[in-house]
Amino acid sequence: MTERLLEVKDLRIEIDTRRGPATIVDGINLHVDAGETLGIVGESGCGKSLTMLSLLRLLPNKIRVAGGSAAFQGSDLLKLSPRELRETRGGKIGFVFQDPMTSLNPVMRIGDQLSEPLIHHRGMSKADARKRAGELLRLVGIPGAEARLDAYPHELSGGMRQRVMIGIGLACEPDLLIADEPTTALDVTIQAQIVDLVKDLRKRLGMSVVWITHDLALIAGLADRICVLYAGTVVEDAPAEQLFAGPAHPYTRGLLASIPRMGGAETERLASIGGTPPEPGRRPPGCPFAPRCALAEDICRQVVPKLASMQGGSAAHRVACHVTSRALEAA
Amino acid sequence: MTSVPLSAPLPEDPPVSLWRDAWQRLVRNKLAVVGLAMVLILAFAAAFGPMLTPYDFLSQDLDARNLAPSLTHLFGTDDLGRDVFSRVLYGSRTAFLVAVVVTAIAVLIGTTLGAIAGFFGGFADRLIMWFTDMTMSVPNLLLVVVINASLKTPLSQWMEAQYLATLNPIFRETVWIDFILVFGSMALISWPPYARLVRAQVLSIRSRPYITAARALGLTNRIILTRYVVPNAIGPLIVSVSAGLGTAMVLESAFSFLGVGVNPPTPSWGNMISDGLRVWQHYPHLLAAPAIVLGLATVAFSFLGDGLNDALNPRGSK
Amino acid sequence: MRIEAIRESAGLTKPFLEQFLNYVLNLLQGNFGNSLSSGRKVWSMISAAAPVSFQLGLCAIILTALIAIPLGLIAGLNQNSKLDYTILGSALFLWAIPPYVAGPLLMVGFLLVLPGINMPYGWGGIFDAKIILPLIVLSFQPIALIVRQTRAAVIEVLSEDFVRTARAKGVPETLVALKHILRPVLTPVVTQLGLIMITIVNGAIFVELVFGLPGLGRLTVQALTNSDYPVILAITLIGSFLVMFSNLIVDVLYPLLDPRAADSMKGR
Repeated sequence: MTERLLEVKDLRIEIDTRRGPATIVDGINLHVDAGETLGIVGESGCGKSLTMLSLLRLLPNKIRVAGGSAAFQGSDLLKLSPRELRETRGGKIGFVFQDPMTSLNPVMRIGDQLSEPLIHHRGMSKADARKRAGELLRLVGIPGAEARLDAYPHELSGGMRQRVMIGIGLACEPDLLIADEPTTALDVTIQAQIVDLVKDLRKRLGMSVVWITHDLALIAGLADRICVLYAGTVVEDAPAEQLFAGPAHPYTRGLLASIPRMGGAETERLASIGGTPPEPGRRPPGCPFAPRCALAEDICRQVVPKLASMQGGSAAHRVACHVTSRALEAA
Repeated sequence: MTSVPLSAPLPEDPPVSLWRDAWQRLVRNKLAVVGLAMVLILAFAAAFGPMLTPYDFLSQDLDARNLAPSLTHLFGTDDLGRDVFSRVLYGSRTAFLVAVVVTAIAVLIGTTLGAIAGFFGGFADRLIMWFTDMTMSVPNLLLVVVINASLKTPLSQWMEAQYLATLNPIFRETVWIDFILVFGSMALISWPPYARLVRAQVLSIRSRPYITAARALGLTNRIILTRYVVPNAIGPLIVSVSAGLGTAMVLESAFSFLGVGVNPPTPSWGNMISDGLRVWQHYPHLLAAPAIVLGLATVAFSFLGDGLNDALNPRGSK
Repeated sequence: MRIEAIRESAGLTKPFLEQFLNYVLNLLQGNFGNSLSSGRKVWSMISAAAPVSFQLGLCAIILTALIAIPLGLIAGLNQNSKLDYTILGSALFLWAIPPYVAGPLLMVGFLLVLPGINMPYGWGGIFDAKIILPLIVLSFQPIALIVRQTRAAVIEVLSEDFVRTARAKGVPETLVALKHILRPVLTPVVTQLGLIMITIVNGAIFVELVFGLPGLGRLTVQALTNSDYPVILAITLIGSFLVMFSNLIVDVLYPLLDPRAADSMKGR
């Protein structure tokens, strides 16, 4: 059995609304093993980014953790002292954000932005940090690396900026790199380059990666394991190849069916999932997906399904669905 | 192909209109409510105050000069034995009159010029904005002083000439000169912020996608203007007007204080403060009463303006 | 008869445009004309009064920056806390109290609390203790203005993604505030310099009058009482020049504060 690097248990996140607190993330359980790449997939608003932001206490105002734990290297991330928290941020856990245009400080040279984690975690001098920053830029594949240290973010292209962000996330060689939709703001061709870069770096540095995305196709070749999130809960958690080969949750099936395939008949229509996810604070009593689900039965509207291994299936493939787990059982 | 049925829609909150929503946000803001209450009290005092006080603001009682505040004279009496409370109430009338008239003229000038600049662009825009920037870069008090000083003589001469020509007694009433000068010069320095605001609003609203969308739907210009442009532009204008009313009151008192405002015997907080300043060592209440009331009035308009800003621009108050 | 002679000598019988042209030509040669009340050269009256006002104004700007920017930063960083409300409330209060009210009231307060002290009246140079009270009163409104500006800018910057990035890097909070928040905040605040200058020029008129300082402000009021137009006009020109000069400084400083602006200027 491989070593657990991160184990999130029963994480609950709430937002303050005018009508009182509403639950956004409702008891998420997930884990990351050492050296593993976990893909977290879900629609916008399902709580995938907030889950990861909450681990480093980077949640926006009015949104807060309401319960749960997050074991990381023997301590609970949610209970760290300010000092320990600061050492973890950027030191043991690196973060890459969605939009490199707004996530980089526009009035600071990128060399200085790259140096910051080195100075604060490694205690490097300014000169040493600058030298290392140049190496980092070369590592993330920026041509003319050292020459770019004095550039401002607006002087780089979108793809280059995201490479800089990745360099910042990797600066202190963290044990875990969290990438929050790092390619959403980029062109399709650049997206593939960034995915390849992270794949390559993961191999070279031997770290774990959590890659958050709404695009299942994008992480098909990247993730070892995939967690599918819906309305603040994990609905399916499986090794990547098992998930693509036999998706168990109706929502996952819907997601996969909505990916256009090469070679499909020209007249074939893309499937879409009708309806919209429930808003926080308005979730139905039973399975959150029940109102949109073609297979929903009475029990689905009353009892929340638990995430469990499918009977007769692989133990690593777990799903939260009353109907499909039973169907497999019968087969 | 999988067919997934559409779900039954979940119950929604009843829709809240823009203005009701803004009103609710305003009422939740304690400071704004305090400001609003104070403004309403002042407005009431300006409208009905003089009927509520037993003394006329001009009636002198030379036996009761410079009295300290007491039950018979709430704020005491001044050097001519006039009741300070009554005079402060009359002052609120002057303050409100000036604030409302000046702001109305300034908004009229500013909105017109701003809308023209924003709507037509090009040369008209450049000319108007150049003029706006010029006016804004002259320190406003000095500008009023210049306008006032240079218009006073010609205006009096013109009035006199009109009187001699028509023998209409309206032209002998010199109080008008004061009011025209005060209102006119204050309005002439107060319009540029409104022009800038309206121009910026018109420019930004004109290029928003929902205007393009409305055009694409084939809506007429009139409907686009009344349904889309005006409601979106009016919020910032209301905020600015509320702040402008307070500023105009302060300006009026500042000019009275300098002796270029409304002349005695019409009471104004500014000239009461100015008078009080001469004797403050002996009769501090003559300074304190108008000064505190003016302070309260400006604080009230500040609170109200800030509250309106948060209520009408919810984006900024996140 | 005498009136006609004076009109003639002052050039008032000439057409308006010629009068105006003469005034402008004289201005360009540094000649502001003569005072109507004292007959002295306007320029010499102004050069006697200007140093008092300039020193006072400069000190007020420095005082404003030193007090208002840190207070605005603290208020913005602790948005909606008691501390924030206290700072914001005080700023609103200072803003609402015009200098001609604050001045006398503070003077009264000063004399009541410290009865033995000398009257804070008159000019004894910028290093004289008597200057403290007028300086404070003159700075009230600019401080209020900048506190509110800084606070608003801090709140806006706080919601920016790059602040989250800085925290995710493990940068200590104090350094996040100083390096990542204060720096972008300074840009919109510095652009308010012109507005501050107007506030100070306005304020100086009252402060100098109330505290008996022989500067341009008091000269304005005297000129006003005597209907001394050449003096009023000259002071207005100087005031406008100061405001435009401040705006020029802002334009020069702006690209230094925001590298994006520097680039778009080069592009032009």
